[in-house]
Amino acid sequence: MQGNRRKLLQMLAAGAAFYGPWKVNRAWAQAGQKKPLVIGLTMDASGQYGASGMDERLGAMLAIREFNQKGGVLGRQIEALHMDTETTPATGSRVAERMITRNDAAFLIGAVHSGVANAISQVAQKYGCVFFNTNSSSPTEAGRDCHRVKFVWDGNGTNFAHAIVKNAMRASGRNWLLLTNDYVWGHNTSKATRTLVEANGGKIVDELMVPQNTRDFTSYLLKIQQIKPNVIAAAVGGDDIKALRQQVVQTKLDKSFAWINNQQDWPDVYGLGPDAVFGVFGTTWYYRLDLPGVKDFVARYQKTYPGIQIAVPGNVFYNGYVATRELLRCVEEAGSTNNLAVIKKLEGRKMSAADRMQHHDAWIDASTHQVQQTIYMASYNDKPAEKDDIFRIQAQVAPQDVVDQGAPAACKLESYAATPSYEQ
Amino acid sequence: MDVLLNLLPHLLNGVSLGLLFALIALGFMLIVGVMEVINLAHGSLFALGAYVAITLMGWKLSYAAAFLLAPLLVGAFGMLLELCLRRTYGKDPLYGLLLTFGAALVIEELIRVLWGSNEKQLPVPEMFSGATLVGGLLYAKYRMFACAAAVGLILLLWLFLEKTPYGAMIKAGAHDSEMVRALGINLPRLRLAVFALGTALAAVAGIVLAPIWGVRPHMGVDAVVPAFLIIVLGGVGSFWGAVLAGILVGIVVGLTGAYASEWSLLSMYLLLIALVTFRARGLFGKKTALEN
Repeated sequence: MQGNRRKLLQMLAAGAAFYGPWKVNRAWAQAGQKKPLVIGLTMDASGQYGASGMDERLGAMLAIREFNQKGGVLGRQIEALHMDTETTPATGSRVAERMITRNDAAFLIGAVHSGVANAISQVAQKYGCVFFNTNSSSPTEAGRDCHRVKFVWDGNGTNFAHAIVKNAMRASGRNWLLLTNDYVWGHNTSKATRTLVEANGGKIVDELMVPQNTRDFTSYLLKIQQIKPNVIAAAVGGDDIKALRQQVVQTKLDKSFAWINNQQDWPDVYGLGPDAVFGVFGTTWYYRLDLPGVKDFVARYQKTYPGIQIAVPGNVFYNGYVATRELLRCVEEAGSTNNLAVIKKLEGRKMSAADRMQHHDAWIDASTHQVQQTIYMASYNDKPAEKDDIFRIQAQVAPQDVVDQGAPAACKLESYAATPSYEQ
Repeated sequence: MDVLLNLLPHLLNGVSLGLLFALIALGFMLIVGVMEVINLAHGSLFALGAYVAITLMGWKLSYAAAFLLAPLLVGAFGMLLELCLRRTYGKDPLYGLLLTFGAALVIEELIRVLWGSNEKQLPVPEMFSGATLVGGLLYAKYRMFACAAAVGLILLLWLFLEKTPYGAMIKAGAHDSEMVRALGINLPRLRLAVFALGTALAAVAGIVLAPIWGVRPHMGVDAVVPAFLIIVLGGVGSFWGAVLAGILVGIVVGLTGAYASEWSLLSMYLLLIALVTFRARGLFGKKTALEN
């Protein structure tokens, strides 16, 4: 009996090993279909950037859905494969490795945390798999940690600092305090702010490091009151900035100091209430920009995701969408999923303002692989046209005026020869 | 003198933070003591308290009503969890650990399904909103209320455990549950009640801390780790050990937050390592037979 059962199991295993993959291939052949194109969505669903990760996933999914409705790309349907990167670099590496080696992902898209983005891109470069960093903004992503396979879609800390610092110094004073999330994005964003403040005659009176996942900011707020700076420049993100905003409002310190948040992601402020939207902050897109295509984009979002908690799309969703759409366009133009062919389509690529629903044309810097785009300065909207209209766009700055000048020197892209050829 | 004046607000802030930590830890400790189970779902029940309170306030109930009702509802939920735990008593502790770990994941996902993944707000009662000047510095009124609520609840719990026959049963159960059974006390019912009390305390702590920390499905993780650490630091089973350890952790986190901010979260773990190195059983932990 024991022997029979073992034999039966062995036969089943052998059958599964042979029949499993053959069955799949045969199914495609019979249907006259090509193998689906798998896109790995390396996005956080938990941890500090869980909310933003989910938002950018919806953006990528909308772009994929729209391409699939038109017949896919290169005659292949697109399959999105999502795994939670947990806002943890080690998980990011593991997910990327798995998606490339086991799931045959043709491309990887997604990241909010710069440490996670860096970890994913190292794995992607090892295999030659093109990776789109959609929403992480450390200047190092298109500088020291750039890679031939990596393309950075968000504005970075230096871009935002360029857009905000001079005006804020003029309006609020020269003594600045930096409140810095203690990881790569926070460090490098505050470094960019410090450089600009000091270059313009200002002074950094102190820098307080905020460990990731800090929930109680009272000691920081007490310290700020003791130091009495003119301006507080925060480079704090995700759930941490939500908690910080709430506690600043509770202590009424939003009224006592000028606050600047380098970049304010939409999922981190949506639903916090109007009081929590204080200070001046940067963004790359807003759902009420008076530009062609914006209303239609919002309508498509609402039609695709009815009843969703975030009722209107924000910058994180937008980045997920436009990045994925551009990747699929490049694959179509290249006529291949070969990584080097796609990379060559992306490098130096020009994207019109109308197509991207921004005020200025954008381009992908061939030497850093960062998208150079319009940066918006925003603050709380005290005259909202509707409930969700919480931002007032104060200014829009052309990409030429906020270029991260140090990035090309810091970025050493691997040569094409040193990048493995990769195609799925 | 100036140094002391600068230091004072941070010390006071540390004490108030520590009292809130202690409140979370005490519910956790009750369950560890009587059930001999490390309840990894404690953090999720902490979060559930905040979410239930939000729902109750959404039904136009006052903050005070939500403050009273939500812990009762979460306590009832805790009773269901205890019923599931019963099959693990007397077995390898790993079973209880795994079950509560699974329960933590289920509760967190349940929260996502019922309330969504996005940040929620628990409104601060009008009388506690805003800030007040303390020694020339602005301090959130709600933070003072939270501190007072923690002190009140800790004292109430102490009175309950020390001055009532039920408290005596719980303490006896924590000391030797089989002996309690032999004395004719209904042990399953005692365990059920203690689990409900522990989870209700987690829920109260969740409600008190919600307006400070914000409400999100995984907020429990931020609570359960310090709670676990405080129990070890204070000495497993010691009420005042947990309170003192909570205050100690609060002061260390508060001071490092102000003067060496990059160390503020790490500081509590360094404190644990330092203390356990010299006093393995924690501040008020009793000696084991092996140490005598």
